[in-house]
Amino acid sequence: MVKAVPGALVKCDASIKAMLINIDNENRNDFIIEELDEEHLLVKKDKVAELKSRLHEMMKQVLREPDTDESDN
Amino acid sequence: MLYMPGPFMSAHLDAWFKPEARREKDKALFVLEQLHILIHKVDANRQTSYVLYESFRRSLRQALEGSGTARSFGIRPSQPNSKRVDIAFLDDYARKQWDTLLFYMVGNTVGLKGGDMGSDISDDTIGLLKLGNLVQSSYGRTTITQAGFNFVLQATSAQVWSLLIVYLKHAESHLGLSETEILSFLFMLGFLELGEDYSTAALTRTQLTTLDILCDLGIAYRPSKSSTSFYPTRLAVSLVSDSASLPASGHSNPTGGYIIVETNHRVYAYTTSLLQIAVLSLFTRLTTRFPNLVSGKITRQSVQKAIKLGISSQQIISYLTAHAHPQMRKTQPFLPPTVIDQIRLWEFDRERVEVTQGYLMKEFNTESEYRDTAAYAESLGVLVWRNDMKKVFFVDRIEQMTTYLERRNRGH
Repeated sequence: MVKAVPGALVKCDASIKAMLINIDNENRNDFIIEELDEEHLLVKKDKVAELKSRLHEMMKQVLREPDTDESDN
Repeated sequence: MLYMPGPFMSAHLDAWFKPEARREKDKALFVLEQLHILIHKVDANRQTSYVLYESFRRSLRQALEGSGTARSFGIRPSQPNSKRVDIAFLDDYARKQWDTLLFYMVGNTVGLKGGDMGSDISDDTIGLLKLGNLVQSSYGRTTITQAGFNFVLQATSAQVWSLLIVYLKHAESHLGLSETEILSFLFMLGFLELGEDYSTAALTRTQLTTLDILCDLGIAYRPSKSSTSFYPTRLAVSLVSDSASLPASGHSNPTGGYIIVETNHRVYAYTTSLLQIAVLSLFTRLTTRFPNLVSGKITRQSVQKAIKLGISSQQIISYLTAHAHPQMRKTQPFLPPTVIDQIRLWEFDRERVEVTQGYLMKEFNTESEYRDTAAYAESLGVLVWRNDMKKVFFVDRIEQMTTYLERRNRGH
């Protein structure tokens, strides 16, 4: 019987996917329903926003991007 | 089909279409079925045919022939009114009311105070914005939400509809008004003639309550609360057609463009409208304001601030394009490509993932079942991603897929 699983398809590159899986593992696998291939994940619908914000946190720590790049000319 | 006594054979319908237009035909039929306009029938000899729903057929006939007592097109007052108002006045009124509403949403957020604007908004309207989750208030301050931003950047007719849908959704549960009556009133309003007055005598109590809020929004105009006649404004007339939408305010040229963007990301906006300045300041860093001009710059920070609030780069770009100054319109595309690319890149900087809500279809019994269903999803345009190795695929809409699978399973 065919199954339809509701969720959000997340497309990202392999490095981002690794980070997402890392977040998932550290949080009792509360985010990801299924890994689909190198670039696609199926994520719980209501967890997308939280997962995204956690990813931003992680990227900020990793990249340490300069926040003040305002030059006037 | 309107006057046909019997059903319409689908074989005849197929004969009208070129084979390559099959996809469009299926789509159209599906929509008509969903709207309960068409019924799909299968008779004893497994011949399929279509008929119109009886009530739709009856009403459409009445509308075309002008028979019946449905009063779909409003009622003119019995004696001509001595104090008629003209179209220019109605346009002015509608624009002022609607701009006030938008400015209330945007101005509060960016901290602009605009004299008389945004102050005389009615409590009902504010309540409506809150119900629609377009604004939220915390600590006595009102700020715009993500949905609110999307709302502000839309075209006026889309805005009117979004707000009316909010009203419809809540009318039944909060105010105890009948949704059907309001909806039929709105559609009637859409078909009225601009600049003519109509009598309120034929309206029900529900519709009169609705009329009050429509007056607040600038969709309709009544000289006074107790007046027995009302005028539809341009906002009302554009409910059902795109042609006559309300021209935006604050500038003189008819094309409506006022923004110049230079390749160095500098922005010059020839406008005196506080609303437009407020919208612009959502994603630009404005530095100088002259009597008829504001100037500023699109920076990485200003764009990312906007994205954080839920505006997409595509919305920024289409807003800038839609309001490009006539001088900018001489080149194609209107905006400098470097700026467009940069805005997109800045968004991509923040958004490293692409998310699509929908359904994953899996566990197909046979290879052919998988292939057929995926092909069907592709032809509907709902297929987002597929993996033939695992026999799974992802769709962003499920309704048609379930219908398809049910029909397919019944056939076996």
